[in-house]
Amino acid sequence: MDRRKFLHQTAAAAVLTSIGGLTLPSFTNKKKHITILHTNDTHSRVEPFETSHHRYANQGGVARRATLVERIRKENTNTLLLDAGDIFQGTPYFNYFGGELEFKLMSMLKYDVATIGNHDFDNSIEGLYKQLPNANFDFVSANYDFKNTVLDTHVKPYKIIMKDGIKIGVFGLGIQLEALVDPKMYKETKYIDPLEIAQDMSRILKEDEECDLVICLSHLGYFYKKDPTKISDLNLAKNTKNIDLIIGGHTHTFLPKPTIVRNSADKNMLVNQVGAYGVNLGRVDFYFDENNEKFSEGTTILV
Amino acid sequence: MKKALLVFSLIIIFIGCEKKTFSLVKITADIITIDSAFNEKAAYKKLIAPYKNKMIAEINSVISYAPKNINRYDGKMQSSLGNLLADLCYERANIIFKERTGKEIDFSVFNYGGIRASISKGAVTNKNPFELMPFENNLVVVELSGKKIMELVDYFIKNKSAHPLSKNIELLINTDASYQLKINNQKFDPTENYFVLTSDYLQSGGDNMDFFKNPISLFKTDYKMRHAIIDEFKSLDTLRASVDNRVILQ
Repeated sequence: MDRRKFLHQTAAAAVLTSIGGLTLPSFTNKKKHITILHTNDTHSRVEPFETSHHRYANQGGVARRATLVERIRKENTNTLLLDAGDIFQGTPYFNYFGGELEFKLMSMLKYDVATIGNHDFDNSIEGLYKQLPNANFDFVSANYDFKNTVLDTHVKPYKIIMKDGIKIGVFGLGIQLEALVDPKMYKETKYIDPLEIAQDMSRILKEDEECDLVICLSHLGYFYKKDPTKISDLNLAKNTKNIDLIIGGHTHTFLPKPTIVRNSADKNMLVNQVGAYGVNLGRVDFYFDENNEKFSEGTTILV
Repeated sequence: MKKALLVFSLIIIFIGCEKKTFSLVKITADIITIDSAFNEKAAYKKLIAPYKNKMIAEINSVISYAPKNINRYDGKMQSSLGNLLADLCYERANIIFKERTGKEIDFSVFNYGGIRASISKGAVTNKNPFELMPFENNLVVVELSGKKIMELVDYFIKNKSAHPLSKNIELLINTDASYQLKINNQKFDPTENYFVLTSDYLQSGGDNMDFFKNPISLFKTDYKMRHAIIDEFKSLDTLRASVDNRVILQ
């Protein structure tokens, strides 16, 4: 570093520190820590399961999720909360209030971004649109074309969030709606091949937008044993590059632990899905170092 | 002077940040189960409470009355509850079908496993239809050839379950599994096509009802089975249901 620049930076640090204790991570800290929390297929499960439930007795519940989320946010303020779709349908809360309470609770939990699942069309695309004012978070979907629908301009392909100087790009992918959802419900929503879109998205986010972290919120499903070539999170992961994390949904897959997958550039990345009904919360922590010689050593993934 | 220095410094920082890149060195990942170890945050319970109270009141509101227990296991290859559901779905869907196509549905068939609860004697509330039919199944009308109807009857006889059939059916099953079938008081004609009401779940191969696959024609009512049940119950002061002569075992 040349001496002149060093002096400028030192002066800047001194001034800024003196005007209100602002931290200057880019000068003082060479490490960054981002925490990603996530849910999927919560299906209107506002309250915990009954204690008599045959499978998830006394598990889940939004008010408990809040305790956990707030605890983690206290550990690391640089935390994002994401959802991979199918927020709607599953309890009478949805039948009676159309998703109003689900969105209000997610807003209170300070969700950052969600994608759209097939069941989010259950009250038709207008039903979803009607509830948007209750959602203080963004919806992303890169492969649903909403141009001729009420959702036009309300759902973006991706969102970029800055946390502690780390640029995070989050894009969404939805499942083919034909034969899964009544066309009367999704109207003129067009489904576009998710693999091609994901390849484009990851390039845009990594190369054009220069994101440090690329996350895909997917409602494609984890993997289809009976139809192994069908597009799924595992197939998506293998056939793309520059995606660091795929947060999945749709198949209600209760993974014993997150899956490490080798992508098309022969780099390890993560696929995670946390079952359904808000029974689990996914947590992924990303640790960054300011670029140095270590760069070539790659990333360690611990699951 | 101090102000000028600050502005100047911020520019430097901005340039400095612009050039800074970070590399991902470590990722840790975990799945955390949410159970009673986590307290419920009061603010969230407070937001939920008015919705919950309204929902409970709505669910518990009385919509009809059952003079006796109505269940799915009180008959032989039929039941009072199965008959009630098959008949009400037939009646309500037939109105829609007739209005849109000018034709009539011949009969309805559903599956025993699709009835998820009984109706207990006493007040019938909004909760009952949700318990009976928790699934989001829609009613569909399937046009089947006589041959497929024979497959349907074979399935019914072999299966030995009380799969709900509507009152349009009179099926006499002999001990050797041969049978006589009347549909709407007419002898079954294997050369005829029939319009059969069922759920989209069964039509798409649910419960191995393969005879519903690739039908001659398919008509979607866009009417949920549960909505048909709710609409019917709300229209009746008293639910009358019984086992009758639609299926007779010799």
